[in-house]
Amino acid sequence: MTIPLLLLIPLAASGITALARGRRAMELIHLFSALAGFTAAILLAAEVLAQGQASWGNSFLFADHLSALVVLLTAFVYLACSPYSIGYFRTDQINQVFGADEDGSIHLAKVRKYFVLTPLFAFSMFLVALSNNLGVMWVALEGTTLASIFLVTFYGRPTSLEAAWKYAMIGGVGLSMALFGTILTYYAAGQVLGTESLNALNWSVLAGSAAKFDHTVMRLAFILILLGYGTKAGLAPMHTWKPDAYSEAPAPVAALMAAAVLNCSLYGLARFYVLTVRCLGPSFASQLLILFGFLSIAVAVPFILVQRSYRRLLAYSSIDHGGIMVLGLGFGGALGPLGMLLHMTFHSITKPLLFFCAGNAQQHTGNDSLRKTPGGLLHALPVSGPMFLLATLAVTGTPPFSLFQSEFTILRAGFAAEHVGLSILFVMLLVAIFAGFFYHIAQLVLGPPNDSPKGETCRWKTYPVISLSALVLLLGFWLPAPLYFLISGAARILAVQP
Amino acid sequence: MLFWQDPQFGDRMITLMAALVLVLQITMVAQRWLVTNIRAFAIQSFLLACIANTIAYYNGATHIYIAAALTLMFKAILLPVILQRLVSRIEIRQEIEPFVNVPLSVIISGFLTLLAYVVAEPLQTQAALPGVAGLGRNTLPVAIALFLIGFFMMINRRKAVTQVLALLSLENGLFLAAISLTYGMPLIVELGIFFDVLVAAMILAILVYRIRETFDSMDVSRLSRLKG
Repeated sequence: MTIPLLLLIPLAASGITALARGRRAMELIHLFSALAGFTAAILLAAEVLAQGQASWGNSFLFADHLSALVVLLTAFVYLACSPYSIGYFRTDQINQVFGADEDGSIHLAKVRKYFVLTPLFAFSMFLVALSNNLGVMWVALEGTTLASIFLVTFYGRPTSLEAAWKYAMIGGVGLSMALFGTILTYYAAGQVLGTESLNALNWSVLAGSAAKFDHTVMRLAFILILLGYGTKAGLAPMHTWKPDAYSEAPAPVAALMAAAVLNCSLYGLARFYVLTVRCLGPSFASQLLILFGFLSIAVAVPFILVQRSYRRLLAYSSIDHGGIMVLGLGFGGALGPLGMLLHMTFHSITKPLLFFCAGNAQQHTGNDSLRKTPGGLLHALPVSGPMFLLATLAVTGTPPFSLFQSEFTILRAGFAAEHVGLSILFVMLLVAIFAGFFYHIAQLVLGPPNDSPKGETCRWKTYPVISLSALVLLLGFWLPAPLYFLISGAARILAVQP
Repeated sequence: MLFWQDPQFGDRMITLMAALVLVLQITMVAQRWLVTNIRAFAIQSFLLACIANTIAYYNGATHIYIAAALTLMFKAILLPVILQRLVSRIEIRQEIEPFVNVPLSVIISGFLTLLAYVVAEPLQTQAALPGVAGLGRNTLPVAIALFLIGFFMMINRRKAVTQVLALLSLENGLFLAAISLTYGMPLIVELGIFFDVLVAAMILAILVYRIRETFDSMDVSRLSRLKG
């Protein structure tokens, strides 16, 4: 019963928020729904760990280890964003971002938009991970784009319109390619299974009979799926919408997009990867994934080194991390998928922290330029400043933080798959990204105090930062056993033998 | 047996209509008036609905009738009407200004069609089934050609409305592929896809309107402030 509950909670939250009167009621509903969603996700994970899988409605909705993991991470990011967003929008009102607004009605309308659309956004992401039918999964992924377009245009600036236009057009073309890939997969399956029933697109059915599919059709289908869901995940060279959308959206939305949507689109890709490997053997899909993974990491390097805005810096970091995860999947073996999923988990916990710190800094200084900000954020923002630095170290994979472990696992997978040259290149690119990223953020955070006023006015904005930092530190030394079982169970699904 | 009950007749009709669909797609590339473009899109969607109907009739597949009715209602009538209203309300210049000139665009479209036939060939080996089972399979290259030309149109156009139109015609190619290859997806997927395409078109229309208000032009090539 947890599966329909998970989908109903955000839907209900969105509906009730639309009717709620005051801001306080909307905030309460939002917090409560995030908490309830996270609880339901934990219950689902427990159910999957105990029984191996869970399904509902004639297995229309279905969860195995992989879906439970993605749902858990999405619910976590949603939970982390909800208190932060309250503080973020209250600060927006104090800063009068929407102009002179005496009775607060403009602000209320804007905030209502956020609190109504974000649960819908979360709903589509849950549906991506929980739907057994690959067509419904496509619909849900398109749904994430539709729910978030108006969150990208939230501030109504000309630049946010430009970002939303790119997001909609590039995302639309990408998803239409993914739909073509899904149609071709259905065609390949239909030759084996018959097309009469709804089940012919169910992953649990397809995975069993993928070995008999037509090879040519599946090859074309995988290329289209990789391009399509790769666009949604922001893999290079289809990444160009990402820096624009991430820097124009409000910080909590950007955190949701960077941490949760990335997981969902890679989840879709991974499902088709399993089918392709079962049908064609590992080498075809692996080579393509390694190519796109490397391209994404390599594209991020120069843009991180010469970046002028720290919000865009985070977006390129997200492109880089998407590339690392795809690379892990491409290296394959037993370690590659494990490294990918560990990386996905740690990334989803670290990235929101980074976006919250960046959001706090941006709200404090009024811009996100690395050049215009004189440095010394450490003194003006006594919590977010140092934590920004800590999050930077964590996200670039410095030991002892957990992303180091997952990157190391992927590296080991690379050596195990005898991609020695590529693995060495991978380390070199990571070092370059670390250098550029750390240089920029250190310039921003360190330095002598200047006469800018003291920040950290709102507790709603600092508490999420503090608790996430504690969690990031903790995860560097201790990974809870049930979480590890969930991750390794999901990795076994991806580590397929043809 | 009446002549229209013969599957071979149905096959010919489908081929004829698919050919017209392709011609309309190239027409959209070739001519410069926005309103004509919207009408060409409407006729194209109407023909697609007819193809879907024909396939549904010969296969006795009721759920394809629903897909055909949805296509007729939304893509052939509702969306063109909305787009036309939008165009007349925001008083833009009625001409499409592509980056590549028209003769060259048509030649490129021709090459893309050729490419589509090359790509589709290995997929069609099993498609040569006799009678009802093979009905409409030969339209796969047309579907791929629609997809590729739609892609090219999107890259080639400056104005926001015309890009939306290109995206919609690209999705027509997808619809044709789904109908001809698999006789339609399962109904719930089909409904979901329709709902999504519709909402996407609405959102794009709103964005177009706002871009017009903010930039006082719909030239997408002016959307270039975000860099690096």
